[in-house]
Amino acid sequence: MKIKQTDIAVVGAGSAGLSAAYQAAAAGARVLVLDENRLPGGQLFKQIHKFFGSRAHQAGTRGYMIGRQLLERVERSGAEVWLDTLVYGMEKNCHLGVIHNGEHWVVQAKKVIVATGAKENYLAFPGSTLPGVMGAGAAQTMINVNRVLPGQRILMLGSGNVGLIVSYQLMQAGADVVALVDAAPNIGGYGVHAGKIRRAGVPFYISHTIKRVTGRDQVEQVEIVQVDGKFQPIPGTEKTFDVDTVCLAVGLNPMTELIWMAGCEFCFIPAFGGHVPLHDGNMETSVPGLYVAGDVTGVEEASSAMEEGNLAGVAAAESLGLLSPAEAGAKKAEIRGRLDILRSGLFGEKRRTAKQSQLESMADYRQKKGGAE
Amino acid sequence: MYDVIVVGGGIIGCSVAWQLAKRKQRVLVIERTDVASGSAGATDGFVGCYTKKPGPQLDLAIKSVQMFDTLQEELGEDIAYQRGAGGMQPVEDQTQWDMLEKTAQLQQQHGLDVRMISAQEAHKIVPGLSTDIHGALYCPDAGKVNPMNLSFAYCRAARKYGAEFMNRTLVTGFLIEDGRVRGIQTEKGIFYADVIVNACGSWAGKVAGLAGLDMPIKPRKGQLAVTEPIGFYMSPTIQCARYNVIKFHPETIKDETVLRLGSSMNIAQTEEGGLLIGGTREFAGFEGENTLEAIDTMMKRVLRFFPGLKDVHVIRYFSGFRPYTPDGMPLLGEVQALPGFYMAAGHEGDGIALSPITGQLIAELIVDGRCSHDITPFSPNRFSA
Repeated sequence: MKIKQTDIAVVGAGSAGLSAAYQAAAAGARVLVLDENRLPGGQLFKQIHKFFGSRAHQAGTRGYMIGRQLLERVERSGAEVWLDTLVYGMEKNCHLGVIHNGEHWVVQAKKVIVATGAKENYLAFPGSTLPGVMGAGAAQTMINVNRVLPGQRILMLGSGNVGLIVSYQLMQAGADVVALVDAAPNIGGYGVHAGKIRRAGVPFYISHTIKRVTGRDQVEQVEIVQVDGKFQPIPGTEKTFDVDTVCLAVGLNPMTELIWMAGCEFCFIPAFGGHVPLHDGNMETSVPGLYVAGDVTGVEEASSAMEEGNLAGVAAAESLGLLSPAEAGAKKAEIRGRLDILRSGLFGEKRRTAKQSQLESMADYRQKKGGAE
Repeated sequence: MYDVIVVGGGIIGCSVAWQLAKRKQRVLVIERTDVASGSAGATDGFVGCYTKKPGPQLDLAIKSVQMFDTLQEELGEDIAYQRGAGGMQPVEDQTQWDMLEKTAQLQQQHGLDVRMISAQEAHKIVPGLSTDIHGALYCPDAGKVNPMNLSFAYCRAARKYGAEFMNRTLVTGFLIEDGRVRGIQTEKGIFYADVIVNACGSWAGKVAGLAGLDMPIKPRKGQLAVTEPIGFYMSPTIQCARYNVIKFHPETIKDETVLRLGSSMNIAQTEEGGLLIGGTREFAGFEGENTLEAIDTMMKRVLRFFPGLKDVHVIRYFSGFRPYTPDGMPLLGEVQALPGFYMAAGHEGDGIALSPITGQLIAELIVDGRCSHDITPFSPNRFSA
């Protein structure tokens, strides 16, 4: 067992983790970033579409370009990055159990920032374990990172932004998307994404769900069925498609396993994908010295993840005395302003309310414990 | 009004309740959380005699293990008991060999089929075992059981005979009148009985304290890992010989970490195919966290004997408390200082295997006033002399 000591350990080298690492290292902290993947960047390098929003959030820039810029900044900042590195556990004192280059390490950091992101939800139906049924995110990784087409004829379940964007990218990569299915009575994602797919002639089946998937050794057919207002199947409305792949884009949930181990307090917010850690305006959890950022705090999107990472990085550096309260305060005010913009408008409102209740739960918790804030 | 109140719904409490209810006693079991939520839910299911000290402990174990032959039938449900799965103790050097051989000879005199075998023979029985060992102790008769199934089976069998279980109930004190016990105070009120059985395992010392009694039972943390299910890997349950050295001759161990963590190795495969790996015995109060240091020590130790497991995934680490007593033997019987108050606790690592006999003997003692097997060596009064 080898021991590695550092000022700040960041778990996850995605949008939030890299942003946090950059901010902390730029303030002069010794930073170690850990990620289990072979390449850094998390989901950013899968995102070949242009981002929305304002210029401050690099609107119009494609996701992987944003990732590249972020990575360059982190490399220049002097942060150390360990890839192919598994963080398998965390003790109550925030020491991390790590497998790196086949060796067992314990990483002891003064502050830990967990930015582990989210994982895809799964849906069970007859045939859902057949090869060829996969998460939409997995299909996106295959086409955009590994350059492998998962199948030729694809049915997509879920019309949120992930379902819409991945459907379009599968078509760009040469696959046929035979149908887009959603149990809700409306399309979930942005109209601009849905329009592109609709114009390409892909039929949408709203108020429909998958009844079953059949095939000998892999997916060969999928049967869908219409559902009523209570999401119950309506007999006689079944339709069958010949497909070799079924993609599930049915939401994400935060990857909270590590912070559960550390003893963080949680609250349940369906809009954020389930159980999410309580945290304060500095992204610090109920465990002192343990910070969170990005989708692990509640599923949102890449721009908010980067801003939460920035906030956590600045706050952690400040708590180590590397930034004066005035310097840190100015930076944090700027970041919070940008976060407010990201959480406004038709789609942002729900997330703003959810985040507000999460922050209030943290304040209540601290008050009950008799702490200051 | 009950005849007997059993405190603790673990494997011992459930067994005692079953045996009492079978003898037509009105029984109430009071459990702090849920049946098998303590040690029985966080351990392997080793059922054998060869790790027991020759003498009263071994005699008791032999009787108890015999009871397993008919237990499943009597309880009427599947407890996943595998008789004759075998038990093995790989030995690393001549000192360990001599220690085990001496014990084995004494155990043979008790009629136990236990033998010392070569590294090659051990490897033949468990092909995954490294041949880089000095030899092994082997006991072909040893078995294994699913300790959670067994606890629940006792519990359901007890209820069939009319025993009542009250879960999620914390005991806060005891009613004592004229120097004897009359009942129990809980968060949910007072319950009366002239006989109380303390079957609280690692917590038994604490609970005895509520009655003003000093019982030297301490929690000893055991950390475990469970792997993903793999194909058939081994039939026997295996403990490295350091387990015995730590239990009976801790003074011979020089390595400070090994001593502090009580680090040995045990491993068994469950019916589902996962490997249950354990091997620490730590005094850490009721702090039950897994520690990176123990994980490192445990995993290195298991790979020393099973190098082929290098790439098998661990899916979970967890821990359980073992009720330690100063002489390694359980406390069974009535407490002299408080008539009506019985102890059935302190089995450390033997609770699963000793659960059938413990239930039977305690029930006999309460109902008939005497036992079919001499339990004076296990008297709870032996420490107060």
